[in-house]
Amino acid sequence: MKLVLYGGGHEEENLHLDAEAIKLTNVSDPRVTYIPSCSYDSEVDFIAFVQNYRKLGLTRFIHFPIDVPFDQVLLSEAMSSDIIHLSGGNTYYFLKYLRKTGILSRLKAFVKNGGVLTGMSAGAILMTPDIKTAGYPKFDCDDNDEKVKNLKAMNIVPFEFFPHYKNSTRYEKELVMQSKKVSTPVYAVPDHSGIVVDGNSMKFVGKTVCFHKGKKVPLSSHLKLV
Amino acid sequence: MTKLKRKNDLEVNYDYEKFSTINGEHPLKKACDEAFIEYGARVRKGGKVAAFNFALGKEMGLIPKGHPDKMTPELEKKILETFGIVIINEYDEINNIKFPEKEILPHKYMATRYLQLQHPNKQGKTSGDGRSIWNGVVKHKGKAWDISSCGTGATALSPATAIKKKFFQSGDPSISYGCGYSELDEGMSTLFFSEIFHKNGIDTERVLAVIDFGNNISINVRAHQNLLRPSHLFNHLKQGNYEALESLVNYYIDRQEKNGVWKEVPSSRTARLQFFLKKEVEVFAKMAAKLEDEYIFCWLDWDGDNVLMDGSMIDFGSIRQFGLFHSEYRYDDDDRFSTSIPEQKDKARYTVQTFAQLVDFLITKEKKNVKSFKDSKATQSFDKYFIKNKRKNLLYKLGFKPETQEALLKPAKKEIDALLDSFSYFERAKSKAGLHKVPDGINWNAIFCMRDILRELPQLYLSRNTNIQRSEFLEIIKSYYCTEEDLAPNSYRDKKIDDFQEFYWKLVRKAAKFNNEDEQTVLLNMTMRSSIINKMDRVTGDSISEIVHKVMHAKPKIKPTKLFELLSEFVDYQDLKPESKMANADKESQSNLVKGMLKIVREYREGL
Repeated sequence: MKLVLYGGGHEEENLHLDAEAIKLTNVSDPRVTYIPSCSYDSEVDFIAFVQNYRKLGLTRFIHFPIDVPFDQVLLSEAMSSDIIHLSGGNTYYFLKYLRKTGILSRLKAFVKNGGVLTGMSAGAILMTPDIKTAGYPKFDCDDNDEKVKNLKAMNIVPFEFFPHYKNSTRYEKELVMQSKKVSTPVYAVPDHSGIVVDGNSMKFVGKTVCFHKGKKVPLSSHLKLV
Repeated sequence: MTKLKRKNDLEVNYDYEKFSTINGEHPLKKACDEAFIEYGARVRKGGKVAAFNFALGKEMGLIPKGHPDKMTPELEKKILETFGIVIINEYDEINNIKFPEKEILPHKYMATRYLQLQHPNKQGKTSGDGRSIWNGVVKHKGKAWDISSCGTGATALSPATAIKKKFFQSGDPSISYGCGYSELDEGMSTLFFSEIFHKNGIDTERVLAVIDFGNNISINVRAHQNLLRPSHLFNHLKQGNYEALESLVNYYIDRQEKNGVWKEVPSSRTARLQFFLKKEVEVFAKMAAKLEDEYIFCWLDWDGDNVLMDGSMIDFGSIRQFGLFHSEYRYDDDDRFSTSIPEQKDKARYTVQTFAQLVDFLITKEKKNVKSFKDSKATQSFDKYFIKNKRKNLLYKLGFKPETQEALLKPAKKEIDALLDSFSYFERAKSKAGLHKVPDGINWNAIFCMRDILRELPQLYLSRNTNIQRSEFLEIIKSYYCTEEDLAPNSYRDKKIDDFQEFYWKLVRKAAKFNNEDEQTVLLNMTMRSSIINKMDRVTGDSISEIVHKVMHAKPKIKPTKLFELLSEFVDYQDLKPESKMANADKESQSNLVKGMLKIVREYREGL
């Protein structure tokens, strides 16, 4: 399993995480598919994404919005990419369409077959058991306008992912409380930081904080994924 | 330290005095007194501002640049005072209808004369603005803007008056089109459609304001830098009125020159006229190619109506933009069917032919038969410019960078024409279902969506570095209208798919050579540009109608400030120009109403 989970932030400040993703492919000129959380003006984000990755020498990209009708040709091309990137955005909306189109399960198969799956914020949350972290804290959470009830996500990592983490009392208080409700650790990842999963090994890039069973737990940079 | 209290934007006293200069006075009155009928006018009460185009108002200098995009009571009052008017027409005078003195406006307003095919008189002696008047002109930053309002009362130039041989009272419910009023939904549709066209570089008149009088009745105020249509000249040509024709041509050239649209206009009379003809040839060839390539239906005909002299769109009542190349669509105007999109080119060519006749008449003082200009130098130039513009439009849609488009035009002409040939074949392919009625006319469904292949192909080539399968090609381009029968095996179509891919690659290779780049870089740039140019969701005429319906029936009622906000957001979303799209990349989350609009656009994306 090869994954990169981005905490958030601007593309140009996440180049080090992009480089990690490329390294995981073991391919000299990997093909990258960009799946936006919502097609609304996603061309603009796609172009920003491409321009950033180009700095690392990549040239082969597919833009694959999934909340609009798409053809099977582009779908199978996307699924045969070396890297699939799930963008940031509204996690509920993204989950709704990934499930509706059947792509959620295809992404799991993609990962199982050795593809590198990367996700920014909402895209990273979708790799976890469920998307509950998108619903808190109240002062900074996604709106569930789509009224999504089934919050189960890909469940390919045994932890919760909390993006855009800021080292402040109110975030800490919220995460301490929320971590009491789940058995898995909650990794709180600030912008420009991330988690790299390669097989059973997990690497933290930047200042990730772990909240587990109501406590803030110190992290070593490398952990075993269990 | 005492903090300075900052005044709220709306507490500032803004200067709206420029509105007062819009009072019916217009330089055309001095240029040619045979170009119009003058009407007195009076205040029309009961109106509310339904829409105001703040961006256009700033561009025209009517409101200061720093004015917030918010309606103020003072601004609303000015708009209503300036544009909330109705003419005192022949019916009023014959019936000796008296109006309070204080409600009568000091100046007179023009209803201009022009040729219109729907009139029994085919020389334009009875036709022109049937329900519009020209409000006047404003000047700002060296540019003059004409302003005209539709729905300001029945004039003597309406088809109803010409056919029934009587004058009508403004608002007479017995005669819909001849009553001189216009509809709110028409004004709103024009506002949305014209702003999207304007954003995408398609020349058009624009809506400055819409005033709602209830019961779907409105005054729709339009503006443009020069509101003359070819038909404003063609009536005088038909009538052999040399003096009026010359005055109007001179007036037009002068305005274009003063507005900086035309540069280096020759000073000698003959050279000026030839320059004028050359410009009109270029305008109409470019416009005809653009309409065809953007699937814009605009009812062009021999009268030179329904379009401005500079090729700008007007009268959005029948203008549509199709999602696919529905080349057989015809609008049903009760007693006649309109032209179809492919026929627009012939009509534009005929307009050029008439311009050639017109200029020859002015130079020689001898009016020759228009048929003798069928193969004139002007029409031949039109043919050349038309194909040149078709080539340019294709290169643009493929996603080549502007400098590459220019560079490829000459050396890759053969490849462009070959690709254009295949492209047109697919674009014009029609359903086996045949011709059928649609709500406002007839159509024969197109079946392939070429925007989809232009968007996806560079990505697939980048990924595979080789051709895609024929079946994949069809899978991508097939539209909602395409049936199994339409996709039955066809060897000629297979050859066209092969040709399409062969010449696409050839152009990519030539571009790579010119740019000194590898093919992958060229394809990547095409991928990025094409994703915006050929965006999946592009508005169609039907989607605009639905959106306007939604906007008009929203509860609570949408006020002008909110409407402009929605319009701006929606128009930005429909900006399909890569340069401006990327320059204004900051996007905010969409309101529920805009989300609803997007669903409508998607639902109708392949329709009429």
